[in-house]
Amino acid sequence: MTARRILNVVRKEWRLMARSPSNLLFVLVVPLLLVGQALLLTWIVPRFLAVGVPDSSTIAPGLPDADRLRVLLLDQFRFFVLLIPAMVANVFATLSIVEEKITGTLEPLLATPVRTWELLLGKILSGAIPALVVAWASAGLFMALAVASGWGPLLRWVVGPSWYLAIFLLTPAISTLSFVFGVIGSSRAGDAKGAQNLAVVVVLPLFALIAVQVTGLVHFTPLLTLLLSLGIAALDALMLRVAVRLFARESILVRWR
Amino acid sequence: MIHIENLSRRFGERPAVDRLSLDVSAGEIVGLLGPNGAGKTTTIRMLAGMIAPSSGAASVGGLDPSTQPERVHEVIGLLTESPGFYERMTARENLAYFARFYEGIDVSGAVGRSLDRMGLSDRGGDRVGTFSRGMKQRLALARALLHRPRILFLDEPTAGLDPEAARDLRRFIVGLSAEDRTVLLCTHNLTEAEEICERVAIFRTRLIAFETPSALREARFRPAVRVRLAGDATGLVASLRDLPFVRAVEPGPEEGGLTVRLDDVDRDRPGLVARIVELGGDVLEVAEERKTLEDVYLDLVREEE
Repeated sequence: MTARRILNVVRKEWRLMARSPSNLLFVLVVPLLLVGQALLLTWIVPRFLAVGVPDSSTIAPGLPDADRLRVLLLDQFRFFVLLIPAMVANVFATLSIVEEKITGTLEPLLATPVRTWELLLGKILSGAIPALVVAWASAGLFMALAVASGWGPLLRWVVGPSWYLAIFLLTPAISTLSFVFGVIGSSRAGDAKGAQNLAVVVVLPLFALIAVQVTGLVHFTPLLTLLLSLGIAALDALMLRVAVRLFARESILVRWR
Repeated sequence: MIHIENLSRRFGERPAVDRLSLDVSAGEIVGLLGPNGAGKTTTIRMLAGMIAPSSGAASVGGLDPSTQPERVHEVIGLLTESPGFYERMTARENLAYFARFYEGIDVSGAVGRSLDRMGLSDRGGDRVGTFSRGMKQRLALARALLHRPRILFLDEPTAGLDPEAARDLRRFIVGLSAEDRTVLLCTHNLTEAEEICERVAIFRTRLIAFETPSALREARFRPAVRVRLAGDATGLVASLRDLPFVRAVEPGPEEGGLTVRLDDVDRDRPGLVARIVELGGDVLEVAEERKTLEDVYLDLVREEE
């Protein structure tokens, strides 16, 4: 019964999403912009920079400086891709509960036997799954365009255990976390803007992660990426419990007008 | 079917419901009447297990809404004040979505039956956003009935409906009682309450009265007749007060009129008219004063203020 209820929420959310052209456009345009930006940087930066990657760096030793720089930039995409679910969540997850309040559907919904965690998990999965699919599709598109740009040989320095772990473990974990934060924001806020302000908190650590990687302060080895992914997955489970606790049916019904 | 004992709810220092006690039998339609902010919706939400009481206890279909909210949700149907639908989804999709939360329900059968019952079968494939207010209200009732609940909480079911739609909905609610479903109805429409409710609970945070509409009228207002005379009637007041069956006489409410309260209107009216004629009064019209539930309600609420 629980699975049926969760699936029910997911299907309803997808149905509504599919019937809103502006939402679909947003989901498609944001990843394309990020892919485009990453490729543009990879193409343009080595042309303007006289300074290459320091010789002491472990990045693609033996390659010309411009290619080593390209490898460095291509490698950043695995972290840029994390921004996709975070940004999609900031729009969809933050609306998930607020919109139910606005349309008056929340009270009849809470009068059904659905449990809070079933409802919230359904809301989270309904956004996190498409965000994840879009993130993976973006990664695929990025690779295809990189190959088409003639950087195929450089990819062997980029795509390795760390890349796979980042794309297939870290991205789902971040995607889920983004939506958990979005849903928490949505259930606590009085309007969509307030919810988005609360949910933006998840984007800030991602920027920090990118900054740490770009500046070379920390090198994300496969082990570190794995530990980070598992840590965030554990945080997902913890935050889902927090979301259920924070979803105060009573105050949502009483305070919302 | 519903048992409420000293149920209270405070929001901070402000009491929303104060020591409410009442019982509703199976198949009964009971109206909750009270001004805005009297605590009607709060009471329904407590009974539906959606908010917790500050003190007191309730039992809905033998279940405790505080400790068994999900089981209570299986046996109740709730019509909220605002219909609340996903407007980009069709009526059928909306109902199916809500139906899937109930255990052991044949979703398509329940949806088809509910739409049919509310006369919406031909609009089942249309998006709810295209529906009128009346159709949304009927659809909301269809949603409340999906799982065939034994108990229905209806919050302002006819608010915003045109007279014909409101009448149809009232008939439908009476029909629910005939199926042995218990209905607790919040309404500001006192004519509606008088028409369909077997008993009414008038309350303003605390219970003021809980009786049948006719019993409330009788308890509150002694039967009276209104007499209209040609010319001034005030000269007759003192003489009429001396009659043994007259309880009170007041001039008015219109010019040349008298309102006379009697022990028994049918029995005492001829004697009253005879005495007026004897005193020289020129009687133009004699009519029984009809007090409505609205008069009772306003009188009780004003007294409470």
